[in-house]
Amino acid sequence: MPKCTINGKEVEVKAGSTIIEAMYQEKESIAHYCYHPGLSVAGVCRLCMVEIEGNPRVQIACNTVVTEGMKVNNTSAKVKDAVKWGLDFHLINHPLDCPICDQAGECGLQDQYMEFGKYDPEMAERKQKKHKVVDLGPTVVLDSERCILCSRCVRFTDEVSKTHELGLFNRGDRTEIGTVEGKQLDNKYSLNTVDICPVGALTSKDFRFRQRVWYLKDAETICPGCSTGCSTKVYFNKEGMFRVKPVYNESVNGHWMCDEGRATYKFINREHRLLKAKKGKSGQWSEVAPGAAAKELSGILKGTNADSLGLVLTAQYSVEEYEAIVSTFVNTFKSKKVFFWVNNKESFESFDGLLLRGDKNPNTKGLLKILDKYGLTATWGDLKSGIEKGELKTLVVAGPENQAVFPDLGEKITELSKVPKLIWLQAGKNEQLEALTGDVTLIPLKTYVEKDGTFVNHQGLEQKFKRVTTVVSEALTLDQAAQLMSGQEIKITTADTFIESNRRPDEVMLEHRKKNEFVFKRGTL
Amino acid sequence: MSVVQNNSEKNKWYLVGILGGMGITMRHLLKNLFNKKQMETLNYPEEKYEYSPRFKGNHVLTVKKDGALRCTACMLCATNCPAECIKITAAEHSDPRVEKYPISYEIDILRCVFCGFCEEACPVDAIRMGPEWQTPGVNGTNFIYDINKLAYRPNLKGGIQTHVDDEERHKSGI
Ligand code: SF4
Ligand code: SF4
Ligand code: SF4
Ligand code: SF4
Ligand code: FES
Repeated sequence: MPKCTINGKEVEVKAGSTIIEAMYQEKESIAHYCYHPGLSVAGVCRLCMVEIEGNPRVQIACNTVVTEGMKVNNTSAKVKDAVKWGLDFHLINHPLDCPICDQAGECGLQDQYMEFGKYDPEMAERKQKKHKVVDLGPTVVLDSERCILCSRCVRFTDEVSKTHELGLFNRGDRTEIGTVEGKQLDNKYSLNTVDICPVGALTSKDFRFRQRVWYLKDAETICPGCSTGCSTKVYFNKEGMFRVKPVYNESVNGHWMCDEGRATYKFINREHRLLKAKKGKSGQWSEVAPGAAAKELSGILKGTNADSLGLVLTAQYSVEEYEAIVSTFVNTFKSKKVFFWVNNKESFESFDGLLLRGDKNPNTKGLLKILDKYGLTATWGDLKSGIEKGELKTLVVAGPENQAVFPDLGEKITELSKVPKLIWLQAGKNEQLEALTGDVTLIPLKTYVEKDGTFVNHQGLEQKFKRVTTVVSEALTLDQAAQLMSGQEIKITTADTFIESNRRPDEVMLEHRKKNEFVFKRGTL
Repeated sequence: MSVVQNNSEKNKWYLVGILGGMGITMRHLLKNLFNKKQMETLNYPEEKYEYSPRFKGNHVLTVKKDGALRCTACMLCATNCPAECIKITAAEHSDPRVEKYPISYEIDILRCVFCGFCEEACPVDAIRMGPEWQTPGVNGTNFIYDINKLAYRPNLKGGIQTHVDDEERHKSGI
């Protein structure tokens, strides 16, 4: 374990680590573009300059291994000067069209310029023009003029997704990023290139121009897209959710996440949500408050014979919610007919080798654990025969939150709606449900960003997540619904929509404001 | 409130003060009656005062040579606006040289404090505060000005041209 001194601090690092890793470890800030902890070292941006005692020239930190007794600093005037002129070279052909650049506000060039630059450019030459708005594939747009040729994106497709679509073409100041002849940047992880691009060269088609980043708040949560359970950050403001990005989590997803998981913000937004409980009888619908609807059901459910009462669960809810609803059924209603709705059965065990799993539920393990705990063994076959024989008369269904990953949804709705009384709890709208003509009650539920809870991922790792915000304040969580249905009184505090939970104590609140969140909490670089 | 009662002898001479004041009033009245041209007041609204062109009145969105909006929908004005009365919706333009443009640009003029910060923030001279200041309205007037009103209202005669031209900038290699 070599020891070295970094900016005057004695540090012990793992043998073979580079100076930039030691700096990361010490949380020292260092300018860099091409180095990424999840990728190989390229050493092309020449921005991570450090001064090593006894070495006449400044060196790059990302490709210099720490040796015993090394004395390193990146705060001296020499280093600052080197970074400054390095930055000037990066900006020689840069268009500086920050006003229309989606990266503005979280751009590496802007950040480093504020930290090290602040010079007047001394280039009198014309800028090299390159391609703008290049369509790289179904998800990503490239602006080659803004690219600083750090090659992170190329290394990502070579080393992580292993799809080898991107490459550097031409030479010198005409070098451009591009896709290999006849190929598109089209893989399941393509949007990671947008995250790691330190500038606005790669932008996501989904997010492009929809918001300026300084209007967005963010909060960490767990991706409900599949049973891997990547750590993510959701970005939102009072107009809704806008994007999802990965957060480093060593034991689950590393630095990355898949493109599918990035779409999990969509079903949270109000336009896709069920806002009120709906009671339907032979095609006539009336709207009621969700809490009232659940309360009303308590009488009906308690009066139902335990043998004719069933519960269908999807693996999309938190452990706490399962505990509440299953114990209500087993203890209060004395029904053991709890069925597990398995979506995409064929691909359940599949795994693409990186992150994506065929089990598109965040909490299958958690649900199985609860079913096990209560000794529930009913199968889907039992449910089918129960419906056919007419034994099952009342069915409570906790439907899918992310309807896109339930290819059998329509089929299942048809199947389950054969019971005389159907109670369907779900966050999102569904046309087929609203077209049912039987005795149906639809109760809106909250989504994963609107509640605290635990997901158990495929490894059996319990991951807790916290409430991020509230989108539909009236909607119930599954445990609230369970409590109400079992006849307990609960206090539902209808939180104001879009009030963030990570608010600063001295923060001034103005409801209509679209605050400049980025500047607000950025602090230092 | 404490009132200081000043009962000194001096106070008895108030009448002189009043007469002096009336005198000044009379002088101005007579001056205005016999020398109308130099009168300071205007017969508003028949007569209107011409402010300098630098007056910060109602906003104007400038246009490019082809008549399209200069605004790039960067939202810097909306970010800078202390009254937060600017609302912009950006969209992708079919021309890659334009790339981003506003499909809607609205200013809630009743909330605007005419500070001119939007004008200061704009990197491309797309918004200016014009010299226009009389914009009353009766009930039901729409005080949320949209692109039509801001850029193409009749008295702008087809739009005010911007100083910042992308074509020229590109040609000179900036
Ligand atoms: S990449 Fe950064 S510096 Fe370049 S135009 Fe975009 S925001 Fe501005
Ligand atoms: S597109 Fe972005 S990530 Fe790729 S080389 Fe250019 S700057 Fe780096
Ligand atoms: S003048 Fe001031 S208050 Fe009015 S729109 Fe511009 S920035 Fe906002
Ligand atoms: S008016 Fe200017 S500052 Fe405002 S969005 Fe348009 S270009 Fe940006
Ligand atoms: S980070 Fe070291 S050279 Fe780019």
